[in-house]
Amino acid sequence: MSEQKHYIPIWFFVGALLLFYGVLITGAGIYYLFAPMPNEVVLAHLHAPIWWGGLLTALGAFYTIHFRPGKQ
Amino acid sequence: MTLLFLPSFWLQATQSRLLTMSPVDLVIVVAYFVLVLVIGFYLKRYASTGEDFFLAGRQMTASVAGLSFISANLGSLETMGYAAATYQHGMVIAHAYFIAAIPAILFLAIVMMPFYYISKTHSVPGYLKLRYGESTRSISSITFAVMTILMSGINMFSMAKVMQVILGWDFNYSMWVSSLTVAVYVMMGGLLSAIFNEVLQFFLIWFGSLLIPILGLIEAGGWDNMVARINQRFAGQDYTHLWRNMGSFTDNPMGLDWIGVVLGWGIAISFGYWTTDFLVVQRVLAAKNLRSAQLGTILGAALKMCVPLIVILPGLLGLAVLPMNLVSEPEALRTGQHSYNEVLPLMMARYCGPGLLGLGVTALIAGFMSGMAGNVSAFATVWTYDIYKALIRKTASDEHYVKMGRWCSILGVFASIGTAYLVMFFDNIIAYAQVIFIFGIVPQFGTIILGMLWKRVTPKGGFYGLLAGTLTSIGLFAWVRLDRSALKYVAFYENASEMADNIYRAFWCLLATFVVTIVVSLLTKPKPDSELENLVYGLTPIPKEKGLPWIQRPAFWAAVVGAAFVMVNIIFW
Repeated sequence: MSEQKHYIPIWFFVGALLLFYGVLITGAGIYYLFAPMPNEVVLAHLHAPIWWGGLLTALGAFYTIHFRPGKQ
Repeated sequence: MTLLFLPSFWLQATQSRLLTMSPVDLVIVVAYFVLVLVIGFYLKRYASTGEDFFLAGRQMTASVAGLSFISANLGSLETMGYAAATYQHGMVIAHAYFIAAIPAILFLAIVMMPFYYISKTHSVPGYLKLRYGESTRSISSITFAVMTILMSGINMFSMAKVMQVILGWDFNYSMWVSSLTVAVYVMMGGLLSAIFNEVLQFFLIWFGSLLIPILGLIEAGGWDNMVARINQRFAGQDYTHLWRNMGSFTDNPMGLDWIGVVLGWGIAISFGYWTTDFLVVQRVLAAKNLRSAQLGTILGAALKMCVPLIVILPGLLGLAVLPMNLVSEPEALRTGQHSYNEVLPLMMARYCGPGLLGLGVTALIAGFMSGMAGNVSAFATVWTYDIYKALIRKTASDEHYVKMGRWCSILGVFASIGTAYLVMFFDNIIAYAQVIFIFGIVPQFGTIILGMLWKRVTPKGGFYGLLAGTLTSIGLFAWVRLDRSALKYVAFYENASEMADNIYRAFWCLLATFVVTIVVSLLTKPKPDSELENLVYGLTPIPKEKGLPWIQRPAFWAAVVGAAFVMVNIIFW
């Protein structure tokens, strides 16, 4: 076996991507809350982008902070 | 296991795009491409030795190995193909996630993994070399190399076609951009890069897909109302049970009976794929120790049982909530209606607005790309260790083999692109890929499992058993193609479906492998025990778990997953 190597954990990358996506999706959800599209999707009144994006943001932020580079 | 339902995705479809992306969706897609390239460049420095490049340094934790193991199998062909098949045939398709997966994965974890891991093999063909010799390895490695390139090409072709149909993207552009991205990141980081991206893809697939069943169930009014709607719309057909309509070939639209499901799909094909296909086994061989490899595999089984939530359930919800009835691909082409294959994109378009749509599309792209990366990294390993090093250049430095692995990754991608263009002109390649898969993978399971569990099996027994299984499969395939009435002997029913034919052929092929391996072994001289240490049951020191708390034992978690598997089958009987 080769020597143990310490790279940035995969969870950091997962967190960063989810955080980025979460912010974008929540932002889009809030934008379309005030400027609804002409052809809305089914169940648009549930505002899925806001709560789904919020979930991604929260999870992404947790993973990004918890597994950030340099943290032992 | 995608292979049984590998759809010939919109091979001739010409209708306009199904989805329209907004700028925020495009940013989401582009961010994914940027991140995977960043990961590839970042990991290059950690993939300097053969162990690093081909086995990710063997330092993966159980969770990473498990996620990667299941992601290597969870591609977009699978999610789209199985959702489509569920719309067409109903919940019986979920057998792919239960009987045709869980027993085999648990068997791999508890019974076979110790031998793979302790033998320190780099690959499944590598184990065959250690156990039986060079000739057996050669059959296995060459078949595997051809299969992986074929599958990788089919994967790329399907991705480009899907993107063309659902988003209106250019076929060549989609294929080249995604293929070259895969080539770069696999060449840089090898298996490590592939595993990182598979874990990333796992989260993308779940977060990109899970909202569809959640919103679908809300719209349908819960599970019971969904079932009621389906029964009302499709009166007289049973779409919501696993076993109830498997009594005979004519009781269900798949044209299968329970014997075929259990023996052919649940044993021959499933065990062949899950325990000996190096594409998936390679992921758990990268674990940091045997227990992590076993726990990772068991985690993979648990996650596999959850996949129906994002694959089978959207198909069922499509039956309940979509205003139109989807039809077969030829009928869709003739009449301009939507086909079964479009059920997942249609559900996506139904519920996902800007942002969420980008996430869903990125999940599809990630699934295709990681599927290709998985094939390419496995191909690079088998080519370098089991073909190039074994047959062409036996002695060279580790650095040389890593360099070969990197070039092989590029070569693999270009060969896949070539295959994708071939598929474009000869679409029956997809159907033949399924057949070739059964030729290669099922007999390999027979040879490996006998070799692992019985020291009396000889190198000649293994070789001729593998050969006999492969030839049986080819022979039965040719027989049925030449004379359809042969189906009454091969699949016990002369009007058996193609799937039933594949499944029963797999069973006969496994049986032939077992019989010939045992008979030839009993007639030939076995290897001495000293040459079988760490390879065979009874001659391999399996680490004891006595000192471990029960909660840390793989056997305990395998029992938990096994119990959940039984319960799910009873609940949805």
